[in-house]
Amino acid sequence: RLLPQLPQLSPYDVNITLKENEFVYNFPVEGIIRSYETNQLGSNSPCEDSRTEASLLHRNGFICGIFDGHAGAACGQVVSKRLLRYISAATLPRQVLREQMKQDCTSQSFLKCHNDKVDFVSEIRPLYEQSFQRYIKRLSGEPSRDVTSELEQAFLQLDNDLSEEALGSNDARTMGVALSGAVACLVHLEGLQLHVASTGDCGAVLGVLDPETNQWHPKKLNIEHNVENMTEVSRILGEHPHEERETVIRNGRLLSQLAPLRAFGDFRYKWPLKTLHQKVVPMFGEQVLPPNYYTPPYLTARPDVQQHELCSNDKFLVIASDGLWDFLTPSEVVSLVGEHINSKKILEPMRLPPGDVKLQQISEQLAERKAGLTRKPIDQNAATHLIRHALGATDYGIEHSKISYYLSLPQDVVRLYRDDITITVIFFNSEHIARLKGESLPTPSPPATTTQAPAA
Amino acid sequence: EAVDPNEKLAKVPSHARVIICGGGITGASVAYHLGLQGWGAETLLIEQDGVGGELPWSACGLAGRFEPSYTELKLAEYSIDLIKQLTDRGLPTGWKQVGSLNLARNFDRMTSFHRMKSLAVAWGMNCEILTPEQCQQHCSLLSLDGIEGGLWIPEDGVCDPHLVCHSFIEEARRLGVRIVEHCAVKKIHSEHGKVARVETTSGDISCEYFVNCTGFWAREVGTLSKPVVKVPLKAVEHHYLHTKPIEQLDPNTPFVRDFDGRIFFRECEGHILAGGYEREAKMVYEDGVIPLSQKARQYPPDWDHFHELLDALLHRVPSFRDAYLDRLTNSLQVFSPDCKWILGEAPEIQNYYVAAGNKTMGVSASGGIGRVLTDLITKGSTYIDLHILDISRFLGLHNNRKFLRDRCKEAPGKHFEINYPFDEFQTGRNLRMSPIYPQLKEAGAVFGQSMGYERPNYFDTNDKQDEFGLPRFRISQTRTFGKPPWFDHVATEYRACRERIGIADYSSFTKYDFWSKGNEVVDLLQYLCSNDVDVAVGSIIHTGMQNPNGGYENDCSLARLSERHYMMIAPTIQQTRSMSWIRKHMPEHLRAKVNVADVTSMYTAICILGPYSRILLSELTDTDLTAKSFPFFTYKELDVGLADGIRVLNITHTGELGYVLYIPNEYALHVYSRLHQAGQKYQIQHAGYYATRALRIEKFYAFWGQDLDTFTTPLECGRSWRVKFNKPIDFIGRSALLKQREEGVKRMYVQLLLNDHDHEVDMWCWGGEPIYRDGVYVGMTTTTGYGYTFEKQVCLGFVRNIDEQGQELAVSNEYVLSGHYEVEVAGVRFEAKVNLHSPNLPTKFPDREREAYHATRDKPDQADLLSFSSNLTVTRQ
Repeated sequence: RLLPQLPQLSPYDVNITLKENEFVYNFPVEGIIRSYETNQLGSNSPCEDSRTEASLLHRNGFICGIFDGHAGAACGQVVSKRLLRYISAATLPRQVLREQMKQDCTSQSFLKCHNDKVDFVSEIRPLYEQSFQRYIKRLSGEPSRDVTSELEQAFLQLDNDLSEEALGSNDARTMGVALSGAVACLVHLEGLQLHVASTGDCGAVLGVLDPETNQWHPKKLNIEHNVENMTEVSRILGEHPHEERETVIRNGRLLSQLAPLRAFGDFRYKWPLKTLHQKVVPMFGEQVLPPNYYTPPYLTARPDVQQHELCSNDKFLVIASDGLWDFLTPSEVVSLVGEHINSKKILEPMRLPPGDVKLQQISEQLAERKAGLTRKPIDQNAATHLIRHALGATDYGIEHSKISYYLSLPQDVVRLYRDDITITVIFFNSEHIARLKGESLPTPSPPATTTQAPAA
Repeated sequence: EAVDPNEKLAKVPSHARVIICGGGITGASVAYHLGLQGWGAETLLIEQDGVGGELPWSACGLAGRFEPSYTELKLAEYSIDLIKQLTDRGLPTGWKQVGSLNLARNFDRMTSFHRMKSLAVAWGMNCEILTPEQCQQHCSLLSLDGIEGGLWIPEDGVCDPHLVCHSFIEEARRLGVRIVEHCAVKKIHSEHGKVARVETTSGDISCEYFVNCTGFWAREVGTLSKPVVKVPLKAVEHHYLHTKPIEQLDPNTPFVRDFDGRIFFRECEGHILAGGYEREAKMVYEDGVIPLSQKARQYPPDWDHFHELLDALLHRVPSFRDAYLDRLTNSLQVFSPDCKWILGEAPEIQNYYVAAGNKTMGVSASGGIGRVLTDLITKGSTYIDLHILDISRFLGLHNNRKFLRDRCKEAPGKHFEINYPFDEFQTGRNLRMSPIYPQLKEAGAVFGQSMGYERPNYFDTNDKQDEFGLPRFRISQTRTFGKPPWFDHVATEYRACRERIGIADYSSFTKYDFWSKGNEVVDLLQYLCSNDVDVAVGSIIHTGMQNPNGGYENDCSLARLSERHYMMIAPTIQQTRSMSWIRKHMPEHLRAKVNVADVTSMYTAICILGPYSRILLSELTDTDLTAKSFPFFTYKELDVGLADGIRVLNITHTGELGYVLYIPNEYALHVYSRLHQAGQKYQIQHAGYYATRALRIEKFYAFWGQDLDTFTTPLECGRSWRVKFNKPIDFIGRSALLKQREEGVKRMYVQLLLNDHDHEVDMWCWGGEPIYRDGVYVGMTTTTGYGYTFEKQVCLGFVRNIDEQGQELAVSNEYVLSGHYEVEVAGVRFEAKVNLHSPNLPTKFPDREREAYHATRDKPDQADLLSFSSNLTVTRQ
């Protein structure tokens, strides 16, 4: 790639840009999650990624997701808010849901969002609320399913609602949402049960510390739906006539246009041809019709859901849009965050484990802190740490000029070099998990022994 | 904050002869010693909190004598003996004579142990060099990994500082000392330059003496008087590790110091107490405000900071890995900028005494300090030379909080570092610099620091620029006990001074002006000095300022600028000290009439020395410089270059032909440039302190602070010809010197040239080596160096005559010259040739004046060889 010559940014400017969207939330009450750290670095303007995190009300749980939009930010933004509401209702015991419905619950009755700064425009809000009420009404009449199915259903339901809202009203906004698209990765945690539902090409990876070797291992918790995933390609090819083999996926893209093979919205690839001609072409012209569009739907919002029961070796979970995975592999990400935990410890005073401690044990603990000291991070926030590494890592450490370069690329070409990056890192409380599981913690296990839980 | 207002105020008397402020171990010891001297009833000790000092777990309780200097060692030794004595009398002290085991991990450390062992003979200390295996026999816990050997001091021990402090207090009470707790000092008032009254939270107390033993707060208490008493101290963090009791731990485990691991440990009631001195200390109380209560001074331990020391400890004693932690305490300690104790009478206020900065060694220091302070208060002098610990070794700059903050990072670490010769601090540098400093730096100067002044030690033109092509600031380093890395540089500088011309910066020298309207200035100097100062205008005299015992309080050159105006040049380290001596001993009737001004900072001093120096200076001035019109040991005010008013002294302090130019600062660069430019045709060369030092050692010139101290008299160092007993004034020290002249001296200053010493391989003499006469220890070297003309190690030092019964006999020239001498250098003895007078060195440039002059002479009645100077006197009359 021929790189344009650019003026270099100062470290100060780089830090301002990298830290602009930083957010940290420390859970005030002791639970399975200690805290989460998140950050976002846009490439598109506006940034097409969205993210939402919320605590589940009426039970002990957490839910969060990141949403990578395409063809505009609209779909991603809408889905990021609504999907969590759908799921918070769907995973509620039906009995509770019914009681809540009697008390005129709304779509926001089942969760508490953290760091939520925007809301829908007032004209559209009632429309979305109606869809939600219809959904929970139906849910209340249905028997409970397992979380996996509920997640799947909620994804599909929301996608379906997007379709109906667009077709049912002649509002350019709902149509805009339906025609833009978004991939999603959603984490649902209740008790020790972790579910990751993913549609499209975001990624979720669990950081596992092997207590024997003290090594970090990544555990992938989703499958990307893109052409690199042969199962996914076979699935799509199998769903369409043999004649379309050459056209369904071409140039690594669905109908030679769309990179993710599953997504919310994008009804240009879902609606029947007739609907497109009736509703969409008049508004947006012929060019919205994809080439070789014979047997829709070509696209689905059905997520791939994976379940995992947390154990005390699971230290953190990283979910991120493909902007990050373009630069770093899951194992790199896990070791970066793992080291970051160690090196961040040096920023806090040393805490001795309770009870009798041998001097040798203290010495080892100090050596670990010292190891962190040599890699003392510039960033407190693990997500920012990852972004800085994604953009600036070289064989010799972080190269300022490289980050500066990526950040100062002009708007018309920047997307060629980097995509929007959104990262959320969730840190688990190993001690709490161990207690729930009734196991005793292997000592000395560094992250668990040196950090103290916030007072309950 | 000091006292709870609701608490009943302590009752204090309205008068006490001595007020001791501070009920820690030092104050307690001073109180006890005053009691012993019969001053108990007149002594009051006040303490803002309760007496007893530190929290029990924040001191190591070592009573050890491994100290870097004779003075410190002797004080520590006295303290230990005192603790033993108290123990024998049944007082609680926690004393256990377990011995101290000092470990070496490298050759240089071993060399320093061998030097210590050599010194031990001189210093009367019992010690033994050990092999690694022998170390283990003394302490079986040790791992010998990396250990090269050790030094065993059997008479060292451990004690409980808390108990010792209480025993001192109880004894002091018994001897009549009043002790008032919960009484804080608010102000110290002085009248006529002396302590008069102390204002406390419990009321005013008039007094004659005030003793500041406030440890941590000594610097702050210093600010409670006008003028402020400068006690330069800075608090730093200091950790002690306590384990839980360890089974089968030998209660007689010695006190072990692993210097190169920077750690020590001891057994303490069944558990281990360990600590160390980290490379860089952590500062606390940056704002200088130290909380009064013990509790508020408890800092959370910094494990990361202690990590290095912990690992060193576990490395040395692997079995401690399985020991359980009791606590790591972060008890703060104060350090002085040179990591030495601070003692003596404050230069700012008379009768105001200070004993502070005992670092972590309070218990080893306190006994001796109590004794010497009591001596100073009750008798005016004590049994040992204290100048290296004297509070007057500091300047205002040392008390600057930012300076202290910078320097005291480094000070604690020095504690366990090898005591290399000419050791330099890396911090607090580039503080006082002469106006020609940039030129010197550009010329390749490598600097040493004295009284904050950057002084070129030698010049090295290699690698003198930094990466930007700018002159680099370099600090000289020796870091060996053998041939130093700067040897060749100094050799060329030395040769330039002997054969061509050298130029040296003497700016750091102390410079005072004395003047009066009438003849009072002469009266004052005649009283203070042992030489006759009433000489012809334009003459220079070398003279000592003696104390009543005849010892040197100051050794200086006086130039008589005019009838009633003198300029004094004294060693750099005398800047504060000699002023306080002069003020203290100024006769009352002269006080208002004589002006004494410290003009050190007003003049730049450049010395040109060597056979061409006269020709060079002649080129730059209109004045005739021939020996006839401007002889040796005279002064003239000259024009040099385009500048005027330069005070030029025809002396060099090294024995070479040459001049020291005292230049008003604004002309300094001009004069320097002219000299340097004009000197090019003579291949003028920069000379540093090491070169001038080598010159003067070879010529057998004594320097105050190195050879001369408050216990050395002119009669002992070949300078009796400079003492004018017949002058009409009864100068200070006259009677003592007369008595000594009658009785004969007990020690004599000699020069020793070592035979068969290979300067390339053998360890060098660095001062403090024992001298043997006919196989018997007779004294110690003071300054030593390599004589580039003799091509031998040259030692200056003192020789005694002690008979078999340990009786000190008079030392005569015959005694000195008849012996067969050896000097022991780090355990190896070298034969030596002895000199009693300054030798004439072979030279291609013979000079009658200088050959005739012998700074150190063996015959007291030797005729004054400076005939021209008497000529001058004649013409004046």
